[in-house]
Amino acid sequence: MIPLGLLGTEERAEIMEVREDKRCVLTSVGSNSQRSCQDRIEDMGVRVGKIVEVLSNGGRGPILLKVDESRIAMGRGIAMKILVRRSEK
Amino acid sequence: MSVDVAELNSETSSGLGLGAAKRSVTVAVAGNPNSGKSTLINALAGTRLHVGNWPGVTVEKKEALFSFDGKEVKLVDLPGTYSLSPYTQEEIIARDYLVHERPDVIINVVDATNLERNLYLTVQLMELGIPMVMALNIYDEAEQKGYRIDVKAMEQMLGMTIIPTVATKKVGLQDLLDAALEAAADPARRPKELRYGEDLEAAAAAVEKAVIGAHHGLVERYPKRWLAFKITEGDERVLSEVNLGGIDAIVKHATAHLAEVHESDMETLMADARYAQAAGLTREVLRKPESKKKELTEKIDRIVLNRFLGIPIFLAAMWLMFKLTFDVSTPFVDWIDAMTAGPFKRWMEVLLGFVGASDWMVSLATDGVIAGVGFVLVFVPVIFAMMFFITFLEGSGYMARAAFVMDRAMHAMGLHGKSFIPMLLGFGCNVPAVYATRTLENQRDKALTALLIPLMSCGARLPVYVVFIGVFFSAYAGTVLWSLYVMGIALAVLMGIIFKRTLFKGDAPMFIMELPPYRMPSFRSLMIHTWEKGKHFLIKAGTYILAVSILVWFLLNLPWGVEQRKDSYLGRMGQVIAPVLEPLGFGTWEAASSLVSGLIAKEIVVGTMGEIYVPKAEEEKKNIPTFAEDAKEVGTSFIGAIRDSAVNVVSGIGISSITAQESLNEQEERSPLREVIKDQFTPLSAYAFITFVLLYMPCVVVAIAMKQEFGTWKWFGIAFAYQMVLAWVVAFGIYQGGRLLGLS
Repeated sequence: MIPLGLLGTEERAEIMEVREDKRCVLTSVGSNSQRSCQDRIEDMGVRVGKIVEVLSNGGRGPILLKVDESRIAMGRGIAMKILVRRSEK
Repeated sequence: MSVDVAELNSETSSGLGLGAAKRSVTVAVAGNPNSGKSTLINALAGTRLHVGNWPGVTVEKKEALFSFDGKEVKLVDLPGTYSLSPYTQEEIIARDYLVHERPDVIINVVDATNLERNLYLTVQLMELGIPMVMALNIYDEAEQKGYRIDVKAMEQMLGMTIIPTVATKKVGLQDLLDAALEAAADPARRPKELRYGEDLEAAAAAVEKAVIGAHHGLVERYPKRWLAFKITEGDERVLSEVNLGGIDAIVKHATAHLAEVHESDMETLMADARYAQAAGLTREVLRKPESKKKELTEKIDRIVLNRFLGIPIFLAAMWLMFKLTFDVSTPFVDWIDAMTAGPFKRWMEVLLGFVGASDWMVSLATDGVIAGVGFVLVFVPVIFAMMFFITFLEGSGYMARAAFVMDRAMHAMGLHGKSFIPMLLGFGCNVPAVYATRTLENQRDKALTALLIPLMSCGARLPVYVVFIGVFFSAYAGTVLWSLYVMGIALAVLMGIIFKRTLFKGDAPMFIMELPPYRMPSFRSLMIHTWEKGKHFLIKAGTYILAVSILVWFLLNLPWGVEQRKDSYLGRMGQVIAPVLEPLGFGTWEAASSLVSGLIAKEIVVGTMGEIYVPKAEEEKKNIPTFAEDAKEVGTSFIGAIRDSAVNVVSGIGISSITAQESLNEQEERSPLREVIKDQFTPLSAYAFITFVLLYMPCVVVAIAMKQEFGTWKWFGIAFAYQMVLAWVVAFGIYQGGRLLGLS
């Protein structure tokens, strides 16, 4: 298993684990309840068991994924907390 | 008071499913972002669409009222969301509306090309037990891709009517409305209750029995099943709303078994269970061919997001946008400028002369109101033109790419790519820039971005620079002007780093966004959204500017009968402040008073300087044009402006050439002021002064915008304080440092 952020452009992989990043949180409007960025990307369909394709990963900066039919961009920090297993070519 | 309550109650009870007797049918439209929901709403509602805001927040609310099939239909567009969790403003709005307003029917717009993720929201919507129909939208694209969706099977599994639609071509919309009204007429026909597995169902049943059984009132206020699951998963918004004692113990008891078996928390378990339903449904109904073909969007993205080409393409796009904005709007700006200074002012004088108004009233109306409001109106063409191009970039899908490309550079100041868009707008005008921060999802990013926006040198500061550069630095005007813009950006980076380590310590910027497929936005939707963006500026800024213009006029003309500007209230303020500015090289009451007036809008600094410095010469009596001549002038010059605007776009003259030329011409006219400035300032103190103008507090309109966006004065207060200090320190450094180096 390797972090998603280390996959190269056009590589495909299966998501094995989505880890929480304690520093990246969404604060609810009008209350103090918080939620991690990982929950948010899970809502957007980036979940354990999904096959993802890296559309763009320049080595630095954000990375762009294709999950099903959506293109999701995310910061490198978040991508490093997602563990994947490379798919066979 | 008691009457109000009774009315409220009757409204609530009729909202709770006695729909058959009601004439008006409320239809809520819900769906994912990028599901084509907006297009579908536009197509359904047509010109009857009303765009406003959800109460208390700046999230757009679209509504339409029309009759269909002899029934009054009220269409309400809910914000696009991925889920109904309570963590973003959009999600809260959508679910509060559904739970508390109880629409008669939900139209769930689902992107047929991206079924699974869209169904995740559908599953959550179904828990509410509100009659529902599904618009299986973008159906044509799904077919083109060779997807086969078993609509009949899906209808059975979900217990709702499903209509394949193509909103862009208005296909299936009639059937959709028919189905929605049919579903609304029969409240018993609710979507199926999807089961989330024995353990979760058992836990929810236990919670339901313990909590809801003991508080019957809750069942009237909330959908039963939804409430039970929300309490089980520990949804804090619901828990604080129902506010029941001892609820934690009940939930803990009910979920004890689950917690034992699984390691995750209840929220994650529920999310997984819902997603499993969505995934299972998708597996059952969708057949898609193996395809390795690259889509057009991906082909474009390979170039636009390319590691080497991405930034050059982005810069070119931005340059083009700014150029077009100014090319299109400059002739109209000049037109408004000329009109407010000429015919409108004269007409007002004549009009007030008729009613026998005194001199001071005429002066208030012309120098105060018309001149002041004129300053704002001058910006209207620029702002609307810029908003139009921004709307285009957003609608086409490129704006999301720009955020992606700029993300890395923005990290230096503790921000991410999405913040780049508001900051870029700041170079045009800080006001729409502050409003644009609403596209950022979390409060931290929003606040930090808004704090840095005033350092982007807006168009209003340009006239001040131009006057001083013309007097002292005409030989290297371009370089000096450029140095000011760069200084603003450099200080924004510096302040960003400081804020990142102090006010926003520990939090990382959150960059997550979906890049929509490229699409050609329709002219209609471009127009609607341009107007929505510009309207804020027009109305809110307009009213405040009016008030402040009047205030400044009084400050300059009070106490009664004041002869010398120096003795007016504004002049006295200047005298008080001047010593503070002494070490910066411009400690005169005139300079200080001008800076005070610049709080309204920075370009006023020049106007005030003109009034203060230039002794009141009797205006030579020119040939005053007649009303008819004026009216003719208004019309012909407007037509001229349209022509110039079109010619500008076609001919492609650079913005720099136009504006620089215009501004130079303009300042030639102010030659008396030029002479005074030459006497009063040295090149060094002049540079310190324009630096101070660049950096000192944001104008009043920005203050209002910040208050509106954040609901508190806190962030404006911080911006005010840090900018005042920054402006003083930097101007001090320049002036005193320059003197040490032997400059003057």
